[in-house]
Amino acid sequence: MSIRRKVIGTLAIPVIVGVILEAICLAHGQNVITNMKSFNNFVVYTAIVMITTMALSINLNSGRFDFSLGSMAALSAVIGAKISYALLGGGSGSAYLMLAITIASGALLGLASGCVYVILRIPPIITSLGVTLIYEGVLYTITGGKYVMTEVQNVSMSGFVGTWIHAAVLILLIVVFVIFLFDHTRFGYNYNALRSGQKVAVNTGIREVPNAVGCYVVCGALMGIVGFLNAARNTNINGGQLNFGSIAIMFTAFLPMFIGSYIGRFSNDKLGYLLAAVCMSLLNSTFAVFSNSITASVQSIINAVLLVVFLIYLNNEDLLTRLFVTRGKQAGA
Amino acid sequence: MEAGSEKTKQLLITLLPVLALAVLFILFCTFVKAKGYRLDIYLKTIFNQGVVLAVVATGAIFIYTLGSFDISLGAATLFAATVGVLTYNATENFPLMILAIFGTAVACSLFSSILASAFHIPAFVTTVAMLSVLSAVSAQIITTKGGALGGIGIPKTLVKPLDNPPFKITLLAIFFLVCFFVFQLTKIGRRQKFIGGNPVCARLTGIPYNKYAIIAFTMAGIGVGLGAFLTLVYTPSVTTTTASGIGMNIFVAIVFGGMPISGGARSRIHAALIGGFSYILLNNILELALEGSSAYGITQIVSAVFFLAVVCVTSMNYRTDLLPR
Repeated sequence: MSIRRKVIGTLAIPVIVGVILEAICLAHGQNVITNMKSFNNFVVYTAIVMITTMALSINLNSGRFDFSLGSMAALSAVIGAKISYALLGGGSGSAYLMLAITIASGALLGLASGCVYVILRIPPIITSLGVTLIYEGVLYTITGGKYVMTEVQNVSMSGFVGTWIHAAVLILLIVVFVIFLFDHTRFGYNYNALRSGQKVAVNTGIREVPNAVGCYVVCGALMGIVGFLNAARNTNINGGQLNFGSIAIMFTAFLPMFIGSYIGRFSNDKLGYLLAAVCMSLLNSTFAVFSNSITASVQSIINAVLLVVFLIYLNNEDLLTRLFVTRGKQAGA
Repeated sequence: MEAGSEKTKQLLITLLPVLALAVLFILFCTFVKAKGYRLDIYLKTIFNQGVVLAVVATGAIFIYTLGSFDISLGAATLFAATVGVLTYNATENFPLMILAIFGTAVACSLFSSILASAFHIPAFVTTVAMLSVLSAVSAQIITTKGGALGGIGIPKTLVKPLDNPPFKITLLAIFFLVCFFVFQLTKIGRRQKFIGGNPVCARLTGIPYNKYAIIAFTMAGIGVGLGAFLTLVYTPSVTTTTASGIGMNIFVAIVFGGMPISGGARSRIHAALIGGFSYILLNNILELALEGSSAYGITQIVSAVFFLAVVCVTSMNYRTDLLPR
């Protein structure tokens, strides 16, 4: 594939999405990003979507369906908020401390989730159901089912998401880390081998258990960051998410995951997830521009329709290409 | 000798969900009596909670048998009930309301499967999309017509005569027997198990996946319709949270009933019935044992640990060297 085609293939979707959404906004006398505040929100939301998508894709691409992502994000954020508040009382540097604790607790929760999977040796979709219920139960017990607010409402936290720089640095660090880990280390080579041919990979001597547990740890740490960013952005954490109330977060990552995988054909799937997250964030910013006329229900419907339409294209690409080529030939003749 | 002990072990594992249900039932009765509460009222509550989950999950067994799953069933139940209420309020015609409920439920289910079949999309992705769409549309209707907290409803007097155990048991029994017949005694069930067990082999032997997927989703749709109707019979109003937990509870119920989520030959039509009631009983026992709102979290933790333990024991014979996916 030529470099020109790679560049065009990689940038086509985000550019087209950006142009269409900006045109829609301009037609109504507005812009997708109207001021610095909306730009900050745009970058923070891009970070949230990108990291969630990466966390979802790590296990899903290996055939492991994980419902526990949302519960890991919420529980690790609560742990981080409680400990950082106890140590610094919401003072200077508490956001950085909370971020560090949240990542560590997220990684530990991921480790526990991975251990349950490899020890019980039951399908991951089932273990993730059990783990989700356990984490939600722990979350409810810690918070008493209430919103956690005092611990996350301080200058340090609002300052963290009050500028795009922190989110941009996180995006950069995570993209570099994930690309390095999954594309340039032994762990990543093993992961890709297990993903493409589990039996063959195991027969060649690749140790599947540490690799699977490692994936869960990385997912947990990533979801910890998502939990932190959501807490800072929403200025609260919902502690009453019982009976699978936390799983909705993973559904927001399906569309960017598929778009990212498509973009990844031309460059790198991790870069694809970033660009897909940019698209989703542009869409979210457009929804914010039209918040008076587009309700949350309509937004959900639009997102669902986009997901289906994109998948229809993705799964029938060959058919559509053949159709257009035939028509082109007929027109030429 | 070894074959005999293996047979006994298999039998025990097969009977374990039934034994667990019996033990849970005895425990529940003991707890209620020990607390000095009225057992008849508690049993009625359990039955009303369990019957909706059991019918929806029994229909869903057909989808799970194929190795697929549908997480939009809870949202479809809410949407079907919402359309039923709207229909009755517009026409005041009870049979038409029932028809609207079942029509909507089957249409939603079929839409997912036809979309997946026609455009070659993984079925679970279409159900994710349906979950969003159905929840959003229902929420929009309910909040527009009745306010977020109040919800919309039909007159209580309309369904009061039907809100009794004999009627519900009859409905449950009829639906279960129909499902049992289709699943166990016709080629539909056998072929669905074959597809779930080995889709490539099934395709090579000429079994059309799409046809059996559509049948599976239709059966699930009927279950959803029945679930929506029974929900309205028990509580004649619909809010945005009605049936919200059903979609995920089906997973737990099916696994509790001793059936693998991956479907195939080990699929059991009775799994949803046994598992559904077991799960409801377990949750109620734990709530009785740990009274108070702060105990909800602990109840869920214990329930989840019990769930994982049951799955671990029932799947003991099916372990492979590779990690399952």
